[in-house]
Amino acid sequence: MNAIIALSLSGIASLFLGFSTNRKNLLITTLLFVLVALGLNLADWNHEYFWFNNMLKTDNLSINFSSVILLSTALVVAISRSFGDDEEHTHPAEYYAIMLFAAAGALMMVTYENMIMLFVGLEILSVSMYILTGSDKRNLRSNEAALKYFLMGAFATGILLFGVALVYGATGSFNIHGIGEVVSRTKKGMELFEGGVILYAGIILIFIGLLFKVSAAPFHFWTPDVYEGAPTIFTTFMSTVVKTAGVAAMYRLLSISFPAVYGLWGNPLVWITCLTLIVGNITAVYQQSFKRMLAYSSISHAGYLLITILAKTPNTNGSILFYSLAYSIATISAFAVLMIVSENKPKDGKPDESFEALNGLSVNNPFLAFVLTVSMLSLAGIPLTAGFFGKFFIFTDAFSNVSPLFKNILVVAILMSAVGVYYYFKPIIAVYMKKGEIAEIQLPLIYKITLIITTALTIILGIAPDLVKNMF
Amino acid sequence: MMPILSILIFLPLIFALVIAVLPQHYTTYFKWITLGVTGVELVLCSYLYFSFDKTALSYQFQEQLDWITLPLGALGVGSIDYLLGIDGISLPMVLLAGIVMFVGAISSFEIKDKQRGYFGLYLLLTGSVIGCFVALDMFLFYLFFEFMLLPMYFLIGIWGGPRKEYASIKFFIYTLVGSLFILLVMIGLYLSVIDPVETAVQMGLIMDKSQVTPELITQIQQLLAEGKILPEQLVHTFDLRFMADAANFVGDSWLHKAAEVAMGDFSIRAIAFLLLIAGFAIKLPAIPVHTWLPDAHVEAPTPVSVVLAGILLKIGGYGFLRIAYPIFPEQATHYASLIACIGAVSIVYGAYNALAMKDLKKMIAYSSVSHMGFVMLGVASITSQGVNGAVYQMFSHGILSAMLFLLVGVLYSRTHDRQIDSYQGLASKMPVYTGFVALTFFASLGLPAFSGFIGEFFTLAGAFNTPLLPKWITVLGAFGIVLGAGYFLWTLQRMFFGNFWSKYELSLLPDLNVREKIMLFPLAILAIAFGIFPQLLLDVTNETVSQFLTLFV
Repeated sequence: MNAIIALSLSGIASLFLGFSTNRKNLLITTLLFVLVALGLNLADWNHEYFWFNNMLKTDNLSINFSSVILLSTALVVAISRSFGDDEEHTHPAEYYAIMLFAAAGALMMVTYENMIMLFVGLEILSVSMYILTGSDKRNLRSNEAALKYFLMGAFATGILLFGVALVYGATGSFNIHGIGEVVSRTKKGMELFEGGVILYAGIILIFIGLLFKVSAAPFHFWTPDVYEGAPTIFTTFMSTVVKTAGVAAMYRLLSISFPAVYGLWGNPLVWITCLTLIVGNITAVYQQSFKRMLAYSSISHAGYLLITILAKTPNTNGSILFYSLAYSIATISAFAVLMIVSENKPKDGKPDESFEALNGLSVNNPFLAFVLTVSMLSLAGIPLTAGFFGKFFIFTDAFSNVSPLFKNILVVAILMSAVGVYYYFKPIIAVYMKKGEIAEIQLPLIYKITLIITTALTIILGIAPDLVKNMF
Repeated sequence: MMPILSILIFLPLIFALVIAVLPQHYTTYFKWITLGVTGVELVLCSYLYFSFDKTALSYQFQEQLDWITLPLGALGVGSIDYLLGIDGISLPMVLLAGIVMFVGAISSFEIKDKQRGYFGLYLLLTGSVIGCFVALDMFLFYLFFEFMLLPMYFLIGIWGGPRKEYASIKFFIYTLVGSLFILLVMIGLYLSVIDPVETAVQMGLIMDKSQVTPELITQIQQLLAEGKILPEQLVHTFDLRFMADAANFVGDSWLHKAAEVAMGDFSIRAIAFLLLIAGFAIKLPAIPVHTWLPDAHVEAPTPVSVVLAGILLKIGGYGFLRIAYPIFPEQATHYASLIACIGAVSIVYGAYNALAMKDLKKMIAYSSVSHMGFVMLGVASITSQGVNGAVYQMFSHGILSAMLFLLVGVLYSRTHDRQIDSYQGLASKMPVYTGFVALTFFASLGLPAFSGFIGEFFTLAGAFNTPLLPKWITVLGAFGIVLGAGYFLWTLQRMFFGNFWSKYELSLLPDLNVREKIMLFPLAILAIAFGIFPQLLLDVTNETVSQFLTLFV
C-alpha cells in the first residue's frame, strides 16, 4: 500500500527531474523509485490492512500481484535506454513519470476493496497508457494507435462503470466483500431475487470492461494495432503490467464478490476463453511482423490465464501468479531483443519489425539469439523454461475442475499449444537458420544485465518452480 | 556406491556446457571431447550391462532425490522426484543409446561448420536420451522426452539439407502434439495416484521414508480404498512404480478403475490409454502419423539420422512398455487388436512405400516404419515371446538402422546424391562397402543368424500364440517380411550388381576409409553376435518381462 503512495510521489518527483540535462540519471533514479516501491510493497508481507476507509486492502495475494507488476515495471524501465536522444523523444522525464503513475494505477487495481477504486485505478492506468501509446508523436501509426486505444478504451471503461452502477443498484454496496455477502445470501434464498436481472446485467458489463483490458476475444480488436503502433518499449509495458493488473483485478472480483453465481459468469467465460485461445493462436500464425505476432500471442496468453480463473481451485492464486510472472519475463526478453534489433536495421526510416529483420542474428550476436530463443521457448511452453510450468499448473487446475465444460477447454488449450509452437519457432528459425547480415550490436550495460536477469529467471523457474510457486 | 545413472545423464550435459564456453581456438577439439564423452558413456553402459542382476525383480541402480514439492491445497501435496532406475526393459535401451551415440559421434567428424553448436547440441541430446530411458518418475521422463526435441530440432534445422526448415518444424510439431497428449494423461494420473510411502509420512505413521515396510504400504492402500485418508494428507506422485499399482489410485479420482466418468462411449481410462498410445505411436512412428519421419531423415545429416533411427524411435516403443501398458493393463488387453492392427499395417504399408522409393535414404526411412511395426505387434500380443521379441527388435533395429544410415551417408558424403538410379554395379568398384551393405541388408530383412531375425521371429511367434489377436493380423505382419526381402534385394541388385555405371566419375567413389570401417565393423559384429546368441539380451529382459506380464492376468 505504501508502494502506491511512494509511486505517486516519485512520479511527481520524476517530473521535476526533467530539468536535469543528464538523461542517464533519469533512468537510474526511476529504477530506484520502482525498487523502493517494491521494497515497501514487500514490507507489508503478512499484514492485512484496510486503507482509506476500506477503499483498499492489502493482503498477501495483492502483495504478490503488486510484486509481479513492480518487477515487470522495473525491468521495462531498465530496458528503456532513456528513450534515446533523438528529436522524437524530447521528454523522457514525462515518460518515466507517466510510467510510474501507470504502475500506481495498476497497484490500485490489485488492492482495491471498493469498486470505485477499481474504476479509479483502471482509469489512471488507461489514461497513462493512451498517452504513452501516442508518444511517438510524428509517427502516424502511433497516433492512430493512441486514438483507437483511447476511443475503445473509453467505451470499455464506460461500460465497466455502468456495470458497477448496476451492481450497486442491485446490492446496495460498492464494497466487494459486501457485494459478495449480498449475492451469496440472496442466491441461497431464491434463484432470482428482486433486482436479480440488474445484478446479472451489471456483472456481465463489468466483465466486458475488464476483458477488454486483458484483450480477450471478442474484445481484442484494438490489441494488434495498438501494440504495433505504440513505441516498442510501451508495448512491452502494456503487454506485461496492464495484462497482469487486469487479470488480477478480474480474479479478485470474481473470487470475492461473485463466487456464488459461478453458473452465471462461468458459462460465458468458458466460451470466451475458448474463443480467445483460438483467435489468438490461429491469427498469430499468419503474422509477418514479429511485433504483431507478439500482440496475438498476448491475446492467447490471456486465454490461458482465464482458464485458471475459471477453474476456481485453491491453487488458482499460485497458478495465475506463476503464469503472469513467467509470461511477463519472457515477453520482456522478447520485446527487448525485438526493440534493439529492429532499430539497428531501419526500413523506410522506421524500425523493421518483421521476422526478416531477425535473419542471421545468431552469427554476430549469439547472446541476443540465445535470449530470444529462451523467451520463445518459454512462451511456447517447452520444458525447462518457466512457461512450461506455467502451463503445467494451469492444466492441472483445469483437470482438478470436474465440470464437463472443462473438457472442451482442455481440448482447445492442448491443440492451441501445439499451434503456438509453430509461430513461436518462426523467430528461432529466422535467427538460426536464415541467412542475413546483422553486424554486432552494442548493448548498454544495464540492458545486458536485464536480459541476463530475465533469461536466468526463465530457466531457474523452469528447473525449480517451487522456489516461487510455494511463496504464492 | 557411484550414482552411475546420474553420471550417464549429467556427464554429457556438463561437457555440452564446457563446449559452449570454450574459446574459439579450441574448435578442433570439440569433436574429440564429444567422442571421449560418448566413449565414457559407452563404457558405463557396458558396465551396467555386465553388473546387472538378471534375476532381480525390482529396479536396479536406483537413485532418488526430492525435487519439487507443491502444496495443492485441498487436494493434498504434489511431489515430483528425481528418481532413476533400470530394469530388464530399459537396460537394453540404455546400452543401445551408449552404442549408437558413440558411433554417431564418430560419424559426426564429417561435420565441418558451426562445430561448437553441433557438438554442444549432440551432447545435450545424448544426456536427455539416456535420461528418458532411466527415469522412473513420469514427470522426469516427460521432461527428457520433450526437452530432447530441442537439440534434435536444431540438429536437423541447422545442419540439414535443402528443406531443413520444413522437415525440422514438422518433426517438432508432430512429436509435440504427441507429447501434449502424454502431458494430459500425466496430469490426470498425477491427480489420481498417491505415493503410499510419502502419504504415511504425511499422516505421521512413520517419521522417515526409510522406516517403510510392505505391511505399512498395504495398510495405507487399505485405508485409501476405504476413503479414510484426509484429502489434505494425500501425497500425489508421478512415480511410475506406484502408478502401475491399481491400489494406489484415489477412490473418486478420474482414472480410478471404477471411475464412471465417460465421454461418449469411451470410459475415461480408455481415452487416457488411447492418448498415450497416440503420443508414443507418433514417436515410433506408426501409420498414419509417420509422415514426419521420411522428411526428417531425408534432410538430417548422417549422424543425426543415425541417432534418430537408432535411438529416438525406440522411445516410442519404450513408452508403451514403461508407461501405457503397466498403468492401463485392462485397456491394453481390450485394445490389443487395434494396436496390433496398426502395427501390421505399418509393417506392410512401410514396406510397400520402401519398394517405391527412388531415394535410398527415404527407402531406409520407410523400412524403419516397417520394422518398428513389429514392435507394436509384439507388444500388443502381451505374451512372453511377443514382448521379449519387441524389446529385441528395438535393440536390433537400433543397431541395423544405424548401420543402414551410416552406409547411405558414405555414398552421400562422396557424391551428394542418394538416388538409387544414379549408381549401378558398385560392387566391382567398392567391394568392402558392398560387403557391408549386403550384410546389413540381409540382417535387416530378417535372415537367420542376424539379430533382425530373432526380433521378428519372436514378435510373430508371440502374436500367433496369443488369444487376444485374430490370426490374420499376424499373417499380414509376416507378409511384411517378404516385402522386406523384396525391397532390400531389389535395391542391392539395382545399385551394386551388374556392370559399373554411375553419373559420377570413378575417382569420386573410393572405397571405405578407416573411419568408416571403424564405425561399421563393430556394429556388424554386434548384429551377428546378437543373431547367434540371442540369450545375450533375452536373459536380461526375460525376468522383467514375466514380471510385466503378471499385471495382465
